[in-house]
Amino acid sequence: MDMDTALLLSILAATVQSGTPILYATLGEMFTERSGVLNLGVEGMMIVGAFTAFLATHLTGNPWAGVLAAGLCGGGLSLLHGVVCLVFQGNQVVSGLALTILGLGLADFLGTPYVGITTTGFQAFAVPVLADIPVLGTIFFRHDALVYLSYLLPPLFWLFMARTRAGLALRAAGEHPAAASAAGLSPVRIRWCGIFTGGFLAGLGGAYLSLAYTHLWTNNMTSGRGWIAVALVIFAFWRPGRAVFGAYLFGGVMALQLRLQAMGANLPSSLMLMLPYALTVLVLLASSARGGGRAAPAALGVNIEPEE
Amino acid sequence: MSDTPHTHAAVAPETPRRAREAHAHLPPVVRLDGICKSFGKVRANHDITLDIRPGCIKALLGENGAGKSTLMSILAGKLRQDSGSIIVDGTPTVFASPRDALRAGIGMVYQHFMLVDSMTVAENVLLGQSPHMLLRPARMRDEVAALAERYGLAVEPAARVGGLSMGERQRVEILKLLYRDSRVLILDEPTAVLTPRETDQLFEAMWRMADQGKALVFISHKLQEVLTVADEIAILRRGEVVDEFSEADVPNQTVLANRMVGRDVVLQVDAKRLAPVDTVLSVEHLSGPGLSDVSLTVRRGEIVAIAGVAGNGQKELVEAICGLARPEAGEVRILGRPWREFFAGPPGRRGLAYIPEDRQGLATCRQLDLVDNFLLTTRNLFAKGVFLDRAEAVNAVKRVVWEYNVQPGDITASARALSGGNLQKLVIGREFFRKPEVIVAENPTQGLDISATEEVWGRLLEARSTAGVLLVTGDLNEALELADRIAVMYRGRFIDVFDKDDAAKVQAIGLMMAGVRPDEPDEPDEADKAGEPDEADKAGEPDELGDPDQKDEAETPA
Amino acid sequence: MFLPRVVKRQEPLQWGSFFIFAAALVVSLGVSCALLAVHGKPPLKALAVLWSGGFGGPFALEDTLLKSIPIFLCSLGVAVSFRMQVWNIGAEGQFALGAVGATWAVLAFPGLPMWAMMPVMFLCAAVAGGLWAAVPAVLRLRFGMNEIISTLMFNYIGILFLQFLVYGAWKDPASFGFPMTPIFPKAAIIGPISPATLGRVHWGLAVCAGVAVLLAVFLKRTRLGFELLAGGENPRAARYARMPYNLLVLLVMSLCGALAGFAGCIETSATVNRLQPSIMVGYGYTAIVVAWLSRLRVSSIACFAFLLAGLRVGVEHLQLDLQVPAAFGGILEGMILLSVLAGQFFDRYRFTLKGRS
Repeated sequence: MDMDTALLLSILAATVQSGTPILYATLGEMFTERSGVLNLGVEGMMIVGAFTAFLATHLTGNPWAGVLAAGLCGGGLSLLHGVVCLVFQGNQVVSGLALTILGLGLADFLGTPYVGITTTGFQAFAVPVLADIPVLGTIFFRHDALVYLSYLLPPLFWLFMARTRAGLALRAAGEHPAAASAAGLSPVRIRWCGIFTGGFLAGLGGAYLSLAYTHLWTNNMTSGRGWIAVALVIFAFWRPGRAVFGAYLFGGVMALQLRLQAMGANLPSSLMLMLPYALTVLVLLASSARGGGRAAPAALGVNIEPEE
Repeated sequence: MSDTPHTHAAVAPETPRRAREAHAHLPPVVRLDGICKSFGKVRANHDITLDIRPGCIKALLGENGAGKSTLMSILAGKLRQDSGSIIVDGTPTVFASPRDALRAGIGMVYQHFMLVDSMTVAENVLLGQSPHMLLRPARMRDEVAALAERYGLAVEPAARVGGLSMGERQRVEILKLLYRDSRVLILDEPTAVLTPRETDQLFEAMWRMADQGKALVFISHKLQEVLTVADEIAILRRGEVVDEFSEADVPNQTVLANRMVGRDVVLQVDAKRLAPVDTVLSVEHLSGPGLSDVSLTVRRGEIVAIAGVAGNGQKELVEAICGLARPEAGEVRILGRPWREFFAGPPGRRGLAYIPEDRQGLATCRQLDLVDNFLLTTRNLFAKGVFLDRAEAVNAVKRVVWEYNVQPGDITASARALSGGNLQKLVIGREFFRKPEVIVAENPTQGLDISATEEVWGRLLEARSTAGVLLVTGDLNEALELADRIAVMYRGRFIDVFDKDDAAKVQAIGLMMAGVRPDEPDEPDEADKAGEPDEADKAGEPDELGDPDQKDEAETPA
Repeated sequence: MFLPRVVKRQEPLQWGSFFIFAAALVVSLGVSCALLAVHGKPPLKALAVLWSGGFGGPFALEDTLLKSIPIFLCSLGVAVSFRMQVWNIGAEGQFALGAVGATWAVLAFPGLPMWAMMPVMFLCAAVAGGLWAAVPAVLRLRFGMNEIISTLMFNYIGILFLQFLVYGAWKDPASFGFPMTPIFPKAAIIGPISPATLGRVHWGLAVCAGVAVLLAVFLKRTRLGFELLAGGENPRAARYARMPYNLLVLLVMSLCGALAGFAGCIETSATVNRLQPSIMVGYGYTAIVVAWLSRLRVSSIACFAFLLAGLRVGVEHLQLDLQVPAAFGGILEGMILLSVLAGQFFDRYRFTLKGRS
């Protein structure tokens, strides 16, 4: 293999790594939105996840403890959103924003003493047999456990939504909660599950950042990935397949960004850093122009009024 | 408020009734005992006691606001009663949610369907009902198809609900209840969205369900339908049951109407015809989504009514005429000016007034006070340069509130405090303040009680002296009472436009609403053959067309 | 069995806003103190520092008033925007662009006297901020693009743009590599109103007052202002009443951007006297909290802007005295907003005990 191919393959492999936290967060938010709740607190939940994962691993030495802690804390934070919106009929947009502000503040506040400390975390390993496939093996099968876990998510998501009783109920809660209620379901209870699962997955996405992508904790690690995830849900028309594409697209841009900086490219770093955000706008523009908004769950963002 | 003079099913009533006798000896499935429910100060139900028996179709008759829907929502578990009990199979039961009611075998088909548009028929039927955790689409489709077959409800299980017609959606709703083995099916104003033919199909399905032992409750304010399909009739008035009897006891509609409102009211007005003057609205070959080649003129001094079942293009037509949607093809001229020019600016004096059906969602802002709501379309009339003369506006609102008797009269209260009728009066007062020359009124008396309806009708007739009125209504009686000319709309086109005095065409309105063009009104057989493709359904109908009793009710109310 | 049930109120609660805020504050402070305790900081002392830092004494009040000026301006814009259900969360980026615009004016016209420099600066700031907000507005109107994401992304891009300029083309050669522009000439610096009586409080306060009055008059007395209010209540009714809804959205966003731009201009000119990244401290996000709290009454906005500015100053003191990380402020603001959202429930609903047979 010559230098250029090797470089290309390494960028593509880095794309997968870079895209993984975004994939977790996007699928999590997609799950929440399919149940009818808009949770803009993804950035907050991700960074809280990143910190708790780091802390738990640091204290126990076991990265899986970190992963569990991250999921639970991300989910726990999202429950606040649930309380405000499902119980107190608060505006879903503003509540999500508040959650982000809170989450960022919490993670920063609790994490200050730990900035720069490294921890064990996850190591990459090659999947037997699959890793030896030319090209694809290098790109997909020489990563850590959390990446492999993320491969299972999109098909599981589809299976759940399209082929299970619970998935049908969730979709009904997101499209027409009154119909779900009339059918004997409890859309509020379904939305609680939707919210928690979304928070859990966002937490996992954050865990990836501090346990696998890097093995340390710094301030503002997420750098807006949570927001990109929210945008990608729209871009993906609320379907898991396109979410994968979108996540890896951004992963690629971020991987490229790093490579170019490392190679001492002439562009000023500020402009380079703009890339993912500008790309988000373009990507969202493209899907909106094609009627993306119409694919949204019909009752998204609309609270369910309490019964008289 | 007489009923749609339309044809009803030809299947001889004798056969289904005999089968129903089989269940007559069984005890009631459900008894409502002393049910009371209030919303704030409004007493929706007061001490209501009713029995619901298997194999029996019970009609709940009453005007709008009599409390029928509230009562049935309580029975279906959607609302909780303030006092009184629901006794199912002899045991008092409490329904905390619709789920409990469904489990007890009681289900309701609501006026606004509870269906998820993006899912298929099978998915909607099996929502919340599948015994399996994993779903297999093929199995679901087969199950639903079998059920539909058994009760004669024609529907395609794999079809997306979003693309179905109203009649088909209703069948899905019924299938949902049948899938759950519901013993009591409540149908809330089911025929409001059906064409006459679909109504007949519904009644046949209802008879089949009753034959198989189901108890049906049929909520309606349409007298003729109740007489056609029900075994027992209970009349609600102002939240109480005032009468209850079997169908055999009732001779005709007028008696029912009297019992419904407590006085001889089949509303009539003295509509003296005015000589129409200049053309104020002209629509030529208007086409677009939902509309095909519609042409119409309205002149000052006349009321033109557009009759038809909701969903046949009325909404699209009104939106085009009132400036909310640009006409795709064809021309619309208001007061002689082309559409684009007329709607270029905000509403002003002597223009077009639109009184929409959706008072709360479209014509007003609930959170704002009466003055702000008034200013919505009259803001230009109080403009002094860039500023708004609020003091002047307040005076105007006070005058309007007094003149149109809007209760409560506090102009600083939010519009939320107004009832439907009073909100409508405010909207009319506002629009008439602008001295419009074209008035488009959409179902203006829907949901209003008798006295409010009379007031609104009076205003519309009065308005003829200065304007031309386009009245879009689903209430045929309203159309026949107020209009000078009637246009019947079906699937986006006018089946016919005729003068109110043309008796033969008035008789044929029911058919026209189902899309049949009365080309030769003197030979009903020809017309039928030319219209409906399905011969079987229409067997025997031509005889009903010329039913002399029907005609009398429609034209000379008691 | 008696169950508490929820019933919609006919009319909203009187004085609801302040009760709810007070309750929210108590809850937030409670949770925050618990966090402090977990972190080993004395909670009661922290509360005392928080109070005295923000409101205890003339110097503290001065500080708070100074901070409340940019917050107030941003909040005005955000509130008008939110009232129309246009979720403009880009005040932060619009603030940055305003600062950039003002700086450009200073760098482009160095010799102008103050009476000319000031208006030009403010104009450029308003135009820059306004345009930065107008682009997401156009994207929403023309392409149906969700403005939450677009304004947020524009925040990141705007801040990076500011950094790009101060690290590059506009860097002060005499600054030893620190990212900042040369210091502004005297003519471009907004000075104190009256050092003897009001200390460091500068003419930005007068700008606030002027803008507030103009905005209040605009909203209450003009036709366009009425259309804004009505359009926000019910966009469908606005279309029915043939209000230029699209134009209103564009107007509202640009107005928000212009106001945030003013804030950026004032911060740059009065507080640091040059353009540097340190002016970006999150006023745009605090503005969202203030806007939501006050529901578009200008007097309420002034009140809450002052209170939240005081909290910020208090948090700064916490940093200095007790080494509490600055992020504590974010926790407080986030918690306050969440509690207020929850509390507003009681504005619209009440509990009744209804008997069930």
